Amino acid sequence: MIELNNMQFSWKDTLILDIEHLNIKSNEKVFIQGESGSGKSTLLNLLAGVITPQKGEVIINNSHLNTMKNSQRDSFRANHIGFIFQQFNLIPYLNLIENIILPCKFSYSRKEKALKNSRSLEEEAIRLLANLGINASSILKRSVSELSIGQQQRVAIARALIGSPDIIIADEPTSALDSNHKASFVKMLFDECEKENITLVFVSHDESLKSHFQRCIELSSINSVKAEEVE
Amino acid sequence: MSMFTLALKSIQSRKATFLLTFISIAISVMLLLGVQIIKKEANSGFLQPVSGTDLIIGPKSSQIELLLYSVFHIGTPNTLMEYKSYERIQASKNVKWAIPISLGDSHKGYKVVSTNENFFKHYSFANDKKVEFTEGKAFEDMFHVVLGYEVARKLNYKLGDNIVLSHGDAEVSFVHHDELPFKVSGILKPTHTPIDKTLIVTLHAMEAIHDDSPNHFMHRPIKKKSQQHDVHDEDEEHHDESHDKEHGEHEEHHGEEHHGHNEDEHSKNSEKIYKENLSHKVAKKLKKLPTKISAVYVGVESKNAIFGIQRKINNNASEPLSAIIPALAVQDLWEFFEFVQVTLNIISGLVVFIGLLGMLSLILMGVQNRRKEMAILRSIGATPFDIGKLIVGEAAIVCAVSIGLGVVFLYVALFVLSQPLYDTYGFYLQIQPLSLQELAILALIECSAILISFVPAYRIYKQSLIDGMNTHI
Repeated sequence: MIELNNMQFSWKDTLILDIEHLNIKSNEKVFIQGESGSGKSTLLNLLAGVITPQKGEVIINNSHLNTMKNSQRDSFRANHIGFIFQQFNLIPYLNLIENIILPCKFSYSRKEKALKNSRSLEEEAIRLLANLGINASSILKRSVSELSIGQQQRVAIARALIGSPDIIIADEPTSALDSNHKASFVKMLFDECEKENITLVFVSHDESLKSHFQRCIELSSINSVKAEEVE
Repeated sequence: MSMFTLALKSIQSRKATFLLTFISIAISVMLLLGVQIIKKEANSGFLQPVSGTDLIIGPKSSQIELLLYSVFHIGTPNTLMEYKSYERIQASKNVKWAIPISLGDSHKGYKVVSTNENFFKHYSFANDKKVEFTEGKAFEDMFHVVLGYEVARKLNYKLGDNIVLSHGDAEVSFVHHDELPFKVSGILKPTHTPIDKTLIVTLHAMEAIHDDSPNHFMHRPIKKKSQQHDVHDEDEEHHDESHDKEHGEHEEHHGEEHHGHNEDEHSKNSEKIYKENLSHKVAKKLKKLPTKISAVYVGVESKNAIFGIQRKINNNASEPLSAIIPALAVQDLWEFFEFVQVTLNIISGLVVFIGLLGMLSLILMGVQNRRKEMAILRSIGATPFDIGKLIVGEAAIVCAVSIGLGVVFLYVALFVLSQPLYDTYGFYLQIQPLSLQELAILALIECSAILISFVPAYRIYKQSLIDGMNTHI
């Protein structure tokens, strides 16, 4: 599903990532652990095709991201990858439903898939929220900024899930949550990925979450550039 | 959801922030269009009353002066021209019609124009429209008066009403021609020219009310008995005629007494109903034409003749006269105001520019604060180009909303101002939909806004290329 080969990425003449090989299989749930400054965000941007490596290959779903044009990578990302960020996941001027269905506006294939589950995108959004334990009707009218962090993160999962992308990349999604919520958040994410056969790449510096995952990768163990050098 | 809808929602959520930008651009749009419209309306307002007149002839003066007093009743002529010159002009070759105009009196602040029947026959305005009557007709009697639409409406006059003219054109006059009131014979339809605010009387009547020779009217000291007698003799229909004759010797005394009585009656009724009095009869008998008039409107047989006649009049040896081509005089007047208009255009253009700069700075400030938002958009597949489009879309929306608001402001202002403008300056502001030229101005403003937004759009484009999906900013 995800494959990196001899990949090097530098930013302003400084080598940040040098990964000889990384392979993540379909439906795998992988925890990538790394301290801040270890190049986590850079790795995610590379996986998402926001940036391209100067050397080596990034292959996702048998597509070579490193040889694609910028616009192709953008639409590839829209079609195949869902994202969950640390916080500030939602566009403040869109309402709950608009935020969730936003990826379908950039990807026709995800819109099609979403409409297989429900008659309309709005219905699908409400269905996803219900799965995540949010009764949409009670908060539908509220501005997204009035939601609690926990609610916001669940809305973010719904957005990442809509239209069943192949991969969900979660970038420190639990760091704003307290420990009780962390566990339930991760469980929820797992359940949904399980149902939809989605590959999950979960990046965090928080070792306590490691135990939930089948596979755990220490970024420093695959990156031959040392963290101090990057900083 | 296109980037445009996103932009719309983004602006919607920041209405309050953009409020001042909306208002400042809207005001500038209102100013810019307002200047255009006032210019256009003023131009047509000045041209309409003279559109059917080929030449205006008056005593030697500057063409703008002659135009202003003879057509717009602004200012007063220093000198007058001979009535004989009018007769000569009318009789001359290539002249189709000539209308004598005499000014100077007023009624409750409205100007009185005295002329002859040619006015109703030949005068035209606003592309060959002739003056028409809402009720009544042109004068058939020497002391008939035709009222402009505004005069009748504002002063609430009806046909048959009695009107006393005042000497001079001041709002409040102390000299009234109350011995010779007029009867309203007709009320004109609105023309949206200065005629709406004028009273039109005959030249004979004008001469009569100004005739200073002491023996014409009975209320004045009567010196020559014989003349007084003449008047009565001629006045066959007078109801006191037989009575006067019977009383022979007491004629003069009685006559005076009678007149006094008549005047009392007249002043009682003068408020409303016109009644012919003795003075009218005397004046009608005399029916004197004025020796001097203010100006002559001329229509020619063929347009080619205009310059020939103009040259002839300007070189006229018997009396110093000026002949002007009113359309050219309006142009001249207009050039005189050109710099005011240019200045206003520059000022409103600058206000537009400042408004747009305000918008630019607001959007630029947003660029920095919205890096996380852009990262999210990137993560779900928006290209950096899409994000640039979002910013351009926002600017386009802000400007379009402001323009819409400005147009609303403009029409509200026009509606509010049109009546006072008309009442105070006689300037008729026709409220019309925006012309192509004005729409082009609006399009230009919108394009400038879009162009100006390329600055923040490019910045955010670069920014989002660098930031990618990095939300840890």
